[in-house]
Amino acid sequence: MNLEFAQNGMTRLTVLQGQFKVSAGPKVELSTVLGSCVATCLFDPTAELGGMNHFLLPEPPASHDRAAVDVHYGVYLMEMLINEMLSHGARKERLRAHLYGGANIRAGMQAIGTANAEFARGFLVRERIELVREDLGGSGARRVDFRPASGQVRCRNVAPAEAPDVKVQPVLRPSPRGEVELF
Amino acid sequence: MSKATTRILTVDDSASMRALLNHALSTNGFDVCQADDGVSALEWLAVNEVDVVITDINMPRLDGFGLIEQVRGGTRHRDRPILVLTTESSDEKKARARAAGATGWIVKPFDTDKLVAAVRRVAH
Repeated sequence: MNLEFAQNGMTRLTVLQGQFKVSAGPKVELSTVLGSCVATCLFDPTAELGGMNHFLLPEPPASHDRAAVDVHYGVYLMEMLINEMLSHGARKERLRAHLYGGANIRAGMQAIGTANAEFARGFLVRERIELVREDLGGSGARRVDFRPASGQVRCRNVAPAEAPDVKVQPVLRPSPRGEVELF
Repeated sequence: MSKATTRILTVDDSASMRALLNHALSTNGFDVCQADDGVSALEWLAVNEVDVVITDINMPRLDGFGLIEQVRGGTRHRDRPILVLTTESSDEKKARARAAGATGWIVKPFDTDKLVAAVRRVAH
């Protein structure tokens, strides 16, 4: 599904769970609504290029079915976002990151938001990507609007009902990713 | 006499992806060595033996295309299988890798079973 809206000359692209998008378009805005999920906004100020991902869970558990992959995991979506940025001209050492989301909205449930936030922070440290702003944790849903060409981000609180539901154990599905082609 | 353990060099600038690859391959019995870009890989290859190279494409200093071209243009490892492991999916990039001398193309996120099967197949 690709949600796209045009308003006031801006094209707003919605980044859904398990997705990432990269753009250098000066009239493009990447948007998402987060509960316990985390969105990473990456920006290269020299290339004037940015991208956003939206992941549900940090890393596959040890019991993960090795015959299936699930791109809802942060470890994959971070990698794919970075590589897409690099392939469009960004340089890793210039990347600046913002992190949003990671709330624990429903009391009594597993603290998925906390786990997502800790993973995202740790990933950026391991990859030596500077974290310039974060708005993580708490118990409220957030809406994030990111202009990838300028790096401008607006994050505001929204009603929890606006945040998409998260499946604690997302259904593993066969994916075309991981396909092998020998030449 | 049993065959020596297959030694794999993985080349990826992502520390997290290197960790995933190391876990996936070492738990399947491979000897895993790692480099974080093409330059580091060439430095390692200059003084080490390897059975299979698995490389990312988008990396600083020297990308996967450059690495493949330099390995194929050298003498020490020119016949070694090189698998590309990348988030790239364009036919143009795949064709470029093939022309440079890549042995195979694997799309991230990788499936451990498929990756291991591919490594065993090209390593003989």
